[in-house]
Parts: sequence; C-alpha cells; structure tokens
Amino acid sequence: MSTLVAAAPGVFWRETKAEFLKAARMPMFAIPTVLLPVGFYALFAVGMGRGDQSVVTQMLATFGVYAVMGPALFGFGANVASERESGQLELKRLSPMPTGAHIVGKLVATMAFSAIAIALIYAVAAMVGIKLSASQWALMASTQITAVIPFALIGLGVGYRMGSKSAVAIVNVLFLGMAVMGGLWIPLALMPEAIQTIAWVLPSYHLGELALMAVGHSEMAYFWLHAGPLALLSLAAAVFAWTGQQRHAA
Amino acid sequence: MPSISSGDLAALQSVSKSYAKRNVLQDFDFALEPGTVTALLGPNGAGKSTIVGLLSGRLSPDAGVIKLFGLDPRHQNARARLGVMLQAAGLPDALTVSEVITLHAGYFKRGLKTADILDQAGLTALAKRPCDKLSGGEQRRVQFALAIAGAPDLLVLDEPTTGLDVQARHALWRTVREKAANGAAILLATHHMDEAEALADRLVVIADGRIAADGSPAAIKGRVAGTTIRVRTPLCAGVLQSLPGVIKVVLRGADASIFSSHARNTLEALFRADPSLNDVDVTAASLEDALASIVEATLKEAA
Repeated sequence: MSTLVAAAPGVFWRETKAEFLKAARMPMFAIPTVLLPVGFYALFAVGMGRGDQSVVTQMLATFGVYAVMGPALFGFGANVASERESGQLELKRLSPMPTGAHIVGKLVATMAFSAIAIALIYAVAAMVGIKLSASQWALMASTQITAVIPFALIGLGVGYRMGSKSAVAIVNVLFLGMAVMGGLWIPLALMPEAIQTIAWVLPSYHLGELALMAVGHSEMAYFWLHAGPLALLSLAAAVFAWTGQQRHAA
Repeated sequence: MPSISSGDLAALQSVSKSYAKRNVLQDFDFALEPGTVTALLGPNGAGKSTIVGLLSGRLSPDAGVIKLFGLDPRHQNARARLGVMLQAAGLPDALTVSEVITLHAGYFKRGLKTADILDQAGLTALAKRPCDKLSGGEQRRVQFALAIAGAPDLLVLDEPTTGLDVQARHALWRTVREKAANGAAILLATHHMDEAEALADRLVVIADGRIAADGSPAAIKGRVAGTTIRVRTPLCAGVLQSLPGVIKVVLRGADASIFSSHARNTLEALFRADPSLNDVDVTAASLEDALASIVEATLKEAA
C-alpha cells in the first residue's frame, strides 16, 4: 500500500523552522537565554578578570556550556510541559507526523539558538584579543553545541512529567544548580569539597572540563575521566526522557 | 484515492473499555458510513468521548477490535486519512494562524493548500495573526482548520462549535456538510441538539455505555410521538392529569406544560374544562424531549 504520509525530511525541516520561530518570537525565552550568558561573560571575564588571557579563555570554555543550558533546559522542560498540557502534543500524536519529528526539530532549533548565544560570547572574547587556534575554536564549539543533547533530555524528562508551572520552577533550580555546582561560573577548585563531590554527577561539570580540554586548559589525558561519566549521565537522562514519554503516551 | 466501502471505514467490534474499574463500554459494536454525518448524543459520562478516543487512536480498548480504514487506528496510513478536532486543545502562541496550518497540513501527502484551508474554515482574514492574539472562538476555528487540513476521509469533531458565535457556527456547519457531500464520514460528538439536528444524517444515542437508539433524526424524534401543550389556566394539576392523552403535567403558577400523546383529544377536553383558556402554544416533541425519554428508559432498564 502506498503511503499517504508526507516525506519525512520535509516534515523534519518544517518542524525545525517552526520551533526556531517559536523560540525567537518569545522575548521571555529569547532575551534571557541569549543575552544573559554574554552579559555575564563580559562582566566576569572581561570586566572583573580584566581581560587576563587565562581567565578569558577558561571562562569562554565554561560559559559556552552555561549558554547552551538555558535554551536546552527551558526549551524542552518548560515548553514541552506547556505543549503537553495544552493538548498540542496530543494533536501531533493523532496526526501522521513521523514519530519524534517534533522533538528532533526542537533539538536542531535549540542547537541553532545555542549557536547564536555562543557566537555572541565568542565575539566578546575575540574583541578582547583571545588567542586560540582554529582547531581549538572548532573543538570547543562542537563540544558546547553537543552539550545541548544531555540538557535537552533532562528537560524533556521534566516536561513530560510535570505541569508547566512546576516544570518552570524545577528547570530554574536545575539550571542554576548545575551551572554553579558544575563549576561553570567559578572554578570548582575554589568551592567547598562537598560541592566538588556532587559535581561528579552533573553533566555540566564534565562538559565544562571537556570544553577546557578543547582550549588547552586541562589535560587531554583526563578525557575519559569526564567523557565516561558524561556518557553514563546522558544515558540516564535518555532513560528519564523515554520513560516520561511513555507515561505521556499511555 | 482508494475508494471506501462501508463497514471498513471505521468500526468498533465487541469493544470493552473501563476506567478505574467502571465499565464505560461493554461488548460495543459501532461502524461509520462514508458520506454520512453521524452524531453521538447522550449524557455526560455515557461513553461518547471514549468512542471518539478509541476511534482516533488516543485510547486503546481493553478487549475487542478497532479498525480504521482496515488498519489499527495507530497506523500512520490510518492517521493520514483521519482529521480530529479535540474538545480542548491549545495552539503554539508565537506562530501565526497560517504557519500553524501549513505545518500541520505538511504532515499529509495529499493535504490541502493553506489558502484553501483558511478559506474553508473562514480564517482568511486572520491568516497573519499570531495564535495568542485569537479569541476563544477563533482558536476553535483554527482547530477545525487543522482537522480538515489533510483532506480526511473521516473527520472526528468533538464539540466543535462550543464558544463560536452564530455566524461562525453556521459557516462551520456548511463546511462539514460539503465534506460529507464529497464522501467523507463525519463523527460528531455534541451536546447541542440543534447542531445534531442541523447536521446529522444519523443519530446514535449512547446511554450507560450502550447504543440506546440509532437512526435518522426524524426516526429518533418519532420514538416519542408526543406534543407539548403550554397554556395559562386556573385548573389544578390533578384535573389536567386526568384529561385524555395526557402523559405528564408540569405546573408553574398558572402556566402549565402538558405533555400529551394525543394533542387533539387533550386540547378538546381542555377547552371544555376551561373555556377561558388562553395563551395556547402547541409544539411537537423536540429532539431534546426524545433524547431525554430514550435515555431515561435505558437507564431504568439498566438499573
């Protein structure tokens, strides 16, 4: 039997475009997630750090991870919760939309959005004369963009489980908690030992360390020390998101 | 376009479904016909929404078989021929009416053009408006637009005109009639009797999870061959009740509503008993009366 369903690539592309427009047109989402990271970076690294090369570089690595956390956690956590609550997901589920097109579209749109947030920080760093090789730029940027995935999965797990109001609250706590305790704002070495221990179960910490490696501020020898736990945590986040989706579908 | 023979369009066969140990449907059989508007009527909790949910693949049955175009309702090719308007559903705030419709129509290989959908749903003037700037009624019309976007062979409408003004309501009815005339099957769940009467070729009354009546609006109304006589009279209820043909009397002060199985006999006797009778209003039994009596009888039988 010939299919009556539209070709998948076109649907994925249109979902991505729609998700990007939705994010870009929501000032309450777009402004804090894009402008706050670059604002903080300018304040902490350039202002308080007085443009010191080492500070500017280290903070670029970790603030880039911080910058993708916002779009990923809020875009998936808070927005999926409200789309589910309002029946928008239900309507898509009853349509012949290829399974997951909406989520994949959201993921790609979030990556594009994160790329803008990161690009703004990179621009500030470039203005104060940061010295990085092309391969260091590329490695750091790809690490930070990939960081969208684990945070999106965590957000998705929250969005499928909670009402939109509680989802916003939870996501705020996760966002700030993972940023601070993951050492993205202040190096973990300057924090109490308890927080240094907690950091091991936070994807933000491992992603920050991997981004630091990319710009030569951590030893590549430690790669698996962070990539390993990150892979496990991402897997756990995927299970969290998947079981949430199953609850929603039931 | 594959042709549809009746029977394999959409059917529930010996379906049972219960919630929290309460049987909503038990051994339930039901099928839809192409080119026909079928209205599901019945009190809240009778099982209407469950039937809509089962046919659209939102719910799965505890027992029995559900076929949509010969397939499981969850099959993508079944969904591609189905359009659903849910009772309560939101829209993406930031997208415009036209963007939402284009996105949804894009899921269907033979979906309608956005301009045609806007036109059929009466939304052309609102095409560029963001969804969060729409009134409740306008949002319902967008939901209707999404339901027809894929040129469905089965259109399921759950309380489609709640919140619509009279004009929008009539416009929606017109479009639904056109869809049926072009061969689509329409399943309409509604609380509005005028809507069922205006649209439906077939009424299915659900009470207590069973089909209490199934037929044309005229046939269903005929099930209660009665007339309501409204008069102003000083006569007491007892006297009115004893008149020939009277089934039931409701008295509010001097205003009496007399339900009669034989209007002529009742009226003649009434004029003899009270020559000063005035403000006489005689109406045939309404669909609402018929429905109430069918449901009441079914529930009594079940109890």
